[in-house]
Amino acid sequence: MKPIIKAANVGKKYYIGAREAARPTWRDALKNSVRNNAPLLLGRYGPHHPSIWALKNVSFEIFPGEVVGIIGTNGAGKSTLLRILARVTRPTTGGADLYGRGGSLLGVSTGFHPDLTGRENIYLNGAILGMKRNEISRKFDEIVAFAEIEDFLDTQTKRYSSGMYLRLGFAIAAHLEPDILLLDEVLTTADVSFQKKCLDRIKSVSHDGTAVVFVSHNLKSVTQLCQRAFHFHRGEIHEEGKPDAVIANYLRKFSA
Amino acid sequence: MSTSVNDATSIVSDLSAPPFGIERPAKLLPADPVTRIRPARFWETIDLRELWAHREVLYFLIWRDLKVRYKQTMIGAAWVVVQPILMTLVFAVFLGRFIRVPSDGIPYPVFAYAAMLLWTFTSSAILSSSYSLVTNSQIITRIYFSRLALPTAAVGVRLVDFMIASVFLFVFMIYYRVQVGWTIVMLPLFVAEIAVLALAVGVLTAALYVRYRDVGTLLPILLQVWMFVSPTVYSASIVPARLRLIYSLNPLVGIMGGFRSALFNLSFDWTGIIISVVVTLVLLAVSLQVFHTLDSSFADEV
Repeated sequence: MKPIIKAANVGKKYYIGAREAARPTWRDALKNSVRNNAPLLLGRYGPHHPSIWALKNVSFEIFPGEVVGIIGTNGAGKSTLLRILARVTRPTTGGADLYGRGGSLLGVSTGFHPDLTGRENIYLNGAILGMKRNEISRKFDEIVAFAEIEDFLDTQTKRYSSGMYLRLGFAIAAHLEPDILLLDEVLTTADVSFQKKCLDRIKSVSHDGTAVVFVSHNLKSVTQLCQRAFHFHRGEIHEEGKPDAVIANYLRKFSA
Repeated sequence: MSTSVNDATSIVSDLSAPPFGIERPAKLLPADPVTRIRPARFWETIDLRELWAHREVLYFLIWRDLKVRYKQTMIGAAWVVVQPILMTLVFAVFLGRFIRVPSDGIPYPVFAYAAMLLWTFTSSAILSSSYSLVTNSQIITRIYFSRLALPTAAVGVRLVDFMIASVFLFVFMIYYRVQVGWTIVMLPLFVAEIAVLALAVGVLTAALYVRYRDVGTLLPILLQVWMFVSPTVYSASIVPARLRLIYSLNPLVGIMGGFRSALFNLSFDWTGIIISVVVTLVLLAVSLQVFHTLDSSFADEV
């Protein structure tokens, strides 16, 4: 079977260190350009700048209809990988080929404007997520029903509770019908009933052939949902396999 | 008919056993990747088709900003005329009445208001597009779309303001009985050119502002200087002939001169206009390239 995501040797280096170096001023740029002989305005960081590899040599294949869970401690590179797959940031080395349209929900309130109403935000957010206007109109009722915000459609979203924010954000992303769905830690603030609804939705889109990559600290939902799990550790895939086994080994590290 | 069946079977037979034997729907994948994710190179070619593909986003971003503004403010649209009218009033009294600055035979208030409209548009469009990436950092760090849409939308919003404020220009012209001639058909061309110029500068400063916050401090100062080296409150004809060519390197000279000529039925300074078009287009090309080069690091730096 042909993979829908094919990633090879993906690496991402972040520059760290002094604050002024992370966001250089012109004076620093001038100083560094003299020192490193780098171009002034478009100057890259010098080779001796302190850095960290958030991802190293990550290679994998993901198939249509597969739900893959990514687990690991904070700073293991899970979110960085999703950001790269969502094209928000570019890898430093390697690359990935996507054989389908990607949809992502990295953080919940993406693109919501607090002064606009729920209705207006659905259109705005749908557009930013890549939906055409008539496509949004067609899905509108479905999104509203899923998010359970019928009574608050014409209320500004700044008056929404965090739960309503989350429901609306997930509802829009979940109705995009992407070929690849990337979800980063989106269910953490959802209540039990909405979590169940989201998990059901993820299952049903994967039955339709969508590949889902799911980053979560909720190990139970990873077991329930995923056919495969990746355990990330310090930017590398530490272990890959059936969720039960991967999670058991992951937890064993902490009990030891 | 039979070939399509063959095609379908060839795809199905291509399937090797997936890991862990999950039953998956046979989804027809394209032969070539839809998206190739690769490291950023120093020099990348610009894909303007991408901005076109994201035009819906552009429309919604403009719509969002206009809508929010009119929700938050009491008199909404009226605010966009306050700045040019106040400035025109001050210049009309001090420069027009007291100093008697020559205005090509046009009543000074109309003469100044025409340029104030253009200037208010230019400076506000450049400022808001400069800040657009940083203001929308929440979106940039969470979702991919053509980032060029952000500064472009900021210019679009100001263009709408410009159109609204233009109504008063025609009110002034009727009041002062300014004669309009065939040259008025040239007007949209200069509006288009100034929009491209504002976009060119705004795109460049937006990209630089993500990395160098100095831009936020420097830009208002430079804009103020730019206003006075442009024929906003005086006519370009006061510049000595031997300096005119150098003076015309400021693209606003050709644009503001052309805009007034079109409006007040005066003769066009074609040399100045051609120079301004060339400078504007070169600036746009450079800006787009810089923006595109820095684009790959926006999400990491904003």
